[in-house]
Amino acid sequence: VNILSELNKRGVNRRSFLAGVGAIGAASALAGCSSNGAMAAATTTYTDTDILNFALNLEYLEAEFYLHAATGSGLQASDAGSNPGTVTGGTQVTGLSSAQQNILNEIAYDEQEHVRFLRSALGSAAVSRPAIDITNSFNALASAAGIASTFNPYANFDAFAVGAFIFEDVGVTAYAGAAPLISTAGIAAGYLAAAAGIMAVEAYHAAYVRTYLTAQNIANSSYLYLGYANKVSALRATLGGGNETALTVPTGTVPLTATAIATPSSIVAATTANAIAFARDTDQVLHIVYGTANGAGVKSGGFFPSGLNGNISVTQS
Amino acid sequence: MRPARQKDNPMPNQETRILDNIIASRRALLVGGGAAVAALAIPGIAKAASTVVGFGDTDILNFALNLEYLEANFYYLAAFGTNISTANTLYPTGAMVQGITGTGTQGTVTVKASPKVPFANLAVASYAVETAIEEGKHVAFLRSALGSAAVAQPQIDLTGGTGFGATAAFNTLASAALIGPAFDPFASDANFLIGAYIFEDVGVTAYHGAAPLFTTGTTGKTYLAAAAGILAVEAYHAGLVRTTINALDPINSNGYQTLTQKVSTLRAALSLAALSTAPNPDDYGLTPGTISVSLAGGASVPRTQIVDADPTNVIAFSRNTTQVLNIVTGGGATTAGAKATGVFFPNGLNGLFS
Repeated sequence: VNILSELNKRGVNRRSFLAGVGAIGAASALAGCSSNGAMAAATTTYTDTDILNFALNLEYLEAEFYLHAATGSGLQASDAGSNPGTVTGGTQVTGLSSAQQNILNEIAYDEQEHVRFLRSALGSAAVSRPAIDITNSFNALASAAGIASTFNPYANFDAFAVGAFIFEDVGVTAYAGAAPLISTAGIAAGYLAAAAGIMAVEAYHAAYVRTYLTAQNIANSSYLYLGYANKVSALRATLGGGNETALTVPTGTVPLTATAIATPSSIVAATTANAIAFARDTDQVLHIVYGTANGAGVKSGGFFPSGLNGNISVTQS
Repeated sequence: MRPARQKDNPMPNQETRILDNIIASRRALLVGGGAAVAALAIPGIAKAASTVVGFGDTDILNFALNLEYLEANFYYLAAFGTNISTANTLYPTGAMVQGITGTGTQGTVTVKASPKVPFANLAVASYAVETAIEEGKHVAFLRSALGSAAVAQPQIDLTGGTGFGATAAFNTLASAALIGPAFDPFASDANFLIGAYIFEDVGVTAYHGAAPLFTTGTTGKTYLAAAAGILAVEAYHAGLVRTTINALDPINSNGYQTLTQKVSTLRAALSLAALSTAPNPDDYGLTPGTISVSLAGGASVPRTQIVDADPTNVIAFSRNTTQVLNIVTGGGATTAGAKATGVFFPNGLNGLFS
């Protein structure tokens, strides 16, 4: 019954995450009520609105990256909220085949619609787009990952694929981590179904990117970009509590004979034990998108130079 | 949750017009698809599962286990040539003999002789091995989580091709989808991908439909977390299959994209037969950039259809157990309350949702 113990461990991890938040909430509450030890410890728990706004911040980032890569322009003003932050950088990827452009258009459209959907679902509670950096952030990330001192994800389709790789698996883990946090009322309201459905779309995207990089490296053994993606994966593991599956380059002689198989690819990012996709808590996701290692109190950096908007924006651990 | 955006913006916009066009064109396809559905074993409208009351987390997991038995056997047979309960010296790390015993009636897997696919494309060959390993692990995981409550592997039919009759599972589906009278998913790289296509998007919709049904206590939340994680993996698999078909035939010169549309159209018809209020369609095949969208407020540009999701909000579809049963049994039950049998599950599924 190793499975159940692992499941329980995951449950415990999430509980300890919440316990950590609670402890910090309690600390600030106590600080605010002088020496009155009788005051009950305040417990900070996130509402469904907080969780959906957290997701909206991530969708703003993805939408801006993909829309700029596809068209050179970002979200329309009507999709960015009443007090949007600025978007730094981002240019159209040129020299694409029509097949490549169509792929880019699809992913950009999907993320644009996710922004619109979440904004509609949240209504007046929707946060505005925070300030987003989609140029300097890639340079810093490439440097931290050991790829190069600079990295332009808009240089060509392969560089774009590495840029996309940065986001998609993170999106999957963020939604997977958020799903069990949604309240019973939120489940009845359809929030869980929506989050699960968006997570699935992020996984489709992630699979596209990972399949593309793998196929390119099979076709060309000196291909550089799968290696870049794996450096990104290693950095994400450092920032985001592990939860990564590196890409591999399969081997085998084709056509296969009746007694031969290829080595497995590594398209899916999931646990080795059970092939269940990873889940990250909000702190792990924040550390990745802020590009800043573990610790409490991290509130901005990386792709979000002024931090996320909403109640989930500062790391608790 | 507030309803979809068009309720906020009753004026038809670019996207809703596109959606209407897509639906209109799909409706035209459904005329053919609908006729073909009638030729299926049972053109039934099964409401049985949707009226099931008093189900628990175990029933949901067992429903998933039936589907994982099906998927794991398909991929094991394609990658290694043997079913999941048979030892094979070809098994790489992570693949192994799986248990298939449990409650209900244990069945066997029928398939052609020597089903191991003679892969000519290394990428596709490696994907088959990876997916086989992962689906096998899902079987093992669910069986372990369920313990003694796990259902046995039901009878599974994976036959298809010219050597088999019209009632072989893949031949039945191929006829209904207007692909042709016979289809062997183990014949080639491309056929394997189309065979895999049949399963993966269904897995996504099934886990998606199940997610909100779990109980809301600690145990249910734990199961939900696991189900969400498996849902994501099924979506990775679906994305892998669709990406690869798209890459092999980007402008549909071989007709592979058309095959995916036919499969999706059939799935949508079967789904709709089970639930008349389901989105219509609730399934989209690949297209070589024949759908146009507006990005960043600009003019319409063509896009692909790697993701199988509703075109307005781009949220993956969800199906209830009756819809899924209708697809995997090719028509579901004749009368409400009767067991759905046919196509991949000739004797039906094991467990409450059957």
